[in-house]
Amino acid sequence: MAQVVIMPKQGQSVESCIVTEFKKKVGDKVSVGDILFSYETDKASFEEESKFEGTVLACFFNDNDEIPCLENVMVIGEPGESFEEFAPGGASSKSAAGAAVEDASSGTVSLRSTPPVAPQGSAPVPPLNVPRVAVVPGGTSPTAASPRAKRLAAEKGINTSLIAGSGPGGRVIERDVIAAAASPLSGLAKAMMAEGGLQAPAAGSGIGGMVRGSDLCQASAEAETASAEFTFEKMSNMRKLIAKSMYNSLQNSAQLTHMLGADARKIQALRKKAKKALEEGRIDANVTINDFVCYAVIKALQKFPKVNSHCLGDSMRIFQTVNLGCAVDTERGLMVPCIKHAETLSITELSKALKQVADDCRKGSINPDLLSSEAASFTVSNLGGFGVEWFTPVINLPQSGILGVGTIVPRPKDLGSGVYAFVPYLGLSLTYDHRALDGGEATRFLKQVATEIENLEIDF
Amino acid sequence: MYDLAIIGGGPGGYVAAERAGAAGLKVVLFERKSLGGVCLNEGCIPTKTLLYSAKVYNYAKTGDHYGVYVSDPAFKYDEIVARKNKVVKKLVGGVKAAMKAGKIEVVAENATIQGRDAEGIKVEAAGNVYAAKNLLICTGSEAAVPPFPGLKEAGDVIVTNREILALNERPEELVVIGGGVIGMEFAAFFSTLGTKVTVVEMLPKILGPLDDEISEMLQKQYEKRGVQFCLRCKVTGIEGNTVVYEDPEGKVCRVSGDKILVSVGRRANIKDFGLENIGVEFALNPAGRPCGIKVDGRMRTNIPGVYAAGDVTGFSMLAHTASREGEVAVNNILGKEDHMRYNAIPGVVYTNPEVAGAGLTEAEAKAKGIDFKVVKLPMAYSGRFVAENERGEGICKIIVGATHHEVLGVHMLGNPCSEIIHSACLAIEAEMTLEQLQQVVFPHPTVSEIIKETAFTI
Repeated sequence: MAQVVIMPKQGQSVESCIVTEFKKKVGDKVSVGDILFSYETDKASFEEESKFEGTVLACFFNDNDEIPCLENVMVIGEPGESFEEFAPGGASSKSAAGAAVEDASSGTVSLRSTPPVAPQGSAPVPPLNVPRVAVVPGGTSPTAASPRAKRLAAEKGINTSLIAGSGPGGRVIERDVIAAAASPLSGLAKAMMAEGGLQAPAAGSGIGGMVRGSDLCQASAEAETASAEFTFEKMSNMRKLIAKSMYNSLQNSAQLTHMLGADARKIQALRKKAKKALEEGRIDANVTINDFVCYAVIKALQKFPKVNSHCLGDSMRIFQTVNLGCAVDTERGLMVPCIKHAETLSITELSKALKQVADDCRKGSINPDLLSSEAASFTVSNLGGFGVEWFTPVINLPQSGILGVGTIVPRPKDLGSGVYAFVPYLGLSLTYDHRALDGGEATRFLKQVATEIENLEIDF
Repeated sequence: MYDLAIIGGGPGGYVAAERAGAAGLKVVLFERKSLGGVCLNEGCIPTKTLLYSAKVYNYAKTGDHYGVYVSDPAFKYDEIVARKNKVVKKLVGGVKAAMKAGKIEVVAENATIQGRDAEGIKVEAAGNVYAAKNLLICTGSEAAVPPFPGLKEAGDVIVTNREILALNERPEELVVIGGGVIGMEFAAFFSTLGTKVTVVEMLPKILGPLDDEISEMLQKQYEKRGVQFCLRCKVTGIEGNTVVYEDPEGKVCRVSGDKILVSVGRRANIKDFGLENIGVEFALNPAGRPCGIKVDGRMRTNIPGVYAAGDVTGFSMLAHTASREGEVAVNNILGKEDHMRYNAIPGVVYTNPEVAGAGLTEAEAKAKGIDFKVVKLPMAYSGRFVAENERGEGICKIIVGATHHEVLGVHMLGNPCSEIIHSACLAIEAEMTLEQLQQVVFPHPTVSEIIKETAFTI
């Protein structure tokens, strides 16, 4: 019997995912464990493995489609088996959702999903001559809209029941709302768009926001002329999200950075002890300098609850627990997973937890709920491994602060009685939101972090 | 505390006041002279009234072209001027009524900007201080009078648009320095009434930036009626009632008149009302001197809450530009983002025949390096034009993008093109292509059909 592959629900807050690439096409044989498609949420990307053996009978979506969680995506079974009952949107919209066509040349059954029928391998091009707003034909449920589409429509004040959806079964998806929200095109803009390679912004500079020819921009990186001097690369959804949240942070908060050095002799000694303990099998975690710093930060945060907080504009969310965010550099970009209740962890537990979330991020198997900036109450970002001494980390709003950890460098220190010596110093850079904290409070907290680092006592 | 203070009650200021009042803003408008500004009192409206009298007189004189005979057509200059004054008075009254209806407080005094403090922008008038959240400066412009040697000594022989409108008798001979729109309209008016008119122009053509071909056609028509044009001629001085100029070969020439009209351009009014007290930035002319208030596309000056509209910006000195700029300023004050577009501003010259244009001319398109095409037809392709313009000639030309045929500019000569040029404004604003324009139904038989006919010649 044919088996259906659904879009997994990745975390409570995730309502839909975008398929980045279908690795298997209709007609392909698949085995258990084969990658069917890769997909991403706002924050992370994943791969869906096949749990079934058989032939891909149907695929209801195209690359880059946004698919609601738990929606039917593909059907796997024996050639000839029926799959139409699995088409998203139900039997009533079956004919619109997809129709099997007999491919005379190969003799296999292939499925044509409705809106833009993109030939294999070619980039999907938005249809030009489709009216941007049309009345949904009778019979289709007017509420058939993706969560993203609904959210956007609510923001823009658009009635989704008046939009002709281009998703499966006439479902209204985000791009339909974007198109419907757009302003009309001038005659020139239409003529220019017809030649392809251009796209219209949501609002133009003409009468009442009409899009003029001069408002059009290159539809995609590929459409621009290649040059010897540069190449174009499309931003991934994650990149776009990082860009948005970083820009948002700098635009919408009052952040500034204080820098302070901490005497690192103690944690360097602790690091030696931990290494030895690991070698001798007394502990089962490779506790790094960063782990000690995080441990010290957690202690300091417990003494400064106002720093361990979210600034919500007119109120503060002050945490009783330390949910420590930790910036992780991955191939796909910056990710900031969070360790909940970090104050309850021992140094080795913390070390293992930090390693685990970082690995999960790099593998793409991290729980997206842990990546939300709302999940963490404070963040640590460590660039010390790259030799950076000081930097100005950007706050992950709505958090009130972020600590940048730099490398350890020798600096002269007055040891008393006129004796000066070079002492290893760790660079600490605290960026805080001045809306949430004043300089005094921030400085006292930063000093506390240094004090914790300088006086950390752990037995291994 | 006012939401908006407006200095200047011309077409920039009073239209802005009307819009702001309708939107519920508390508005105070300062006008030291008469509501309506130059447009209503010394420009657009009085000249059109005079020119219409001239046109009626001309109909009477040329009635025989239409089989109508009027014996001894005559005019009474003082009655023409009296009618002009009546029309102006009526329209100024209309603006006053509109201000009253919009609950606009009109202060008929000189206004001086004092500065801004926590209470807002302060404007002083007749000893009272008015505080406002926003200020819109619409102080307009006045005729630029270059310091020609001998000009001062010539006394009241020298007139600008203001004084010439107040004349009680028609000059027998008139010298017009500057063959732009203002100069040409007065040349048209007085020459129709029998005055010997000489136009001295520095540039190689009349009507400044208007279409070259149309300017030349109009010049020829007026030459036939006895107007003398001295182009490429530079005025070097005034000797009593005589204008001294150098012709293109450098020869010193002289031409005399009862009156000498100086219409070489207009200068933004940016002095003597306290602009310096709030530090408004000026636009500079090529010589580096302030020539207007610098504004952005939303009519904002460099000072938050301070806007400018109209001639005071120093460019596109037209009443309808001022009104739209005033509206843009008000919309932005109301928090509705609005931007000024200048690519479809129409320009009209009320000579007989009229000249009207909107958008780019061929010369401008060429200068901008735009790949364009020109389509044109004689006005005689319009049935109504032929019926009503015996011995008249005219032209309609449309400038379009070479590839997509979007309408970039429309220029016309022939009555009543001033009344149909707005179709061109719509087409340019909508970036219509000629193919789209071809699908629009124009009323038959009207002169406006010439636009559609011309569109089909692509």
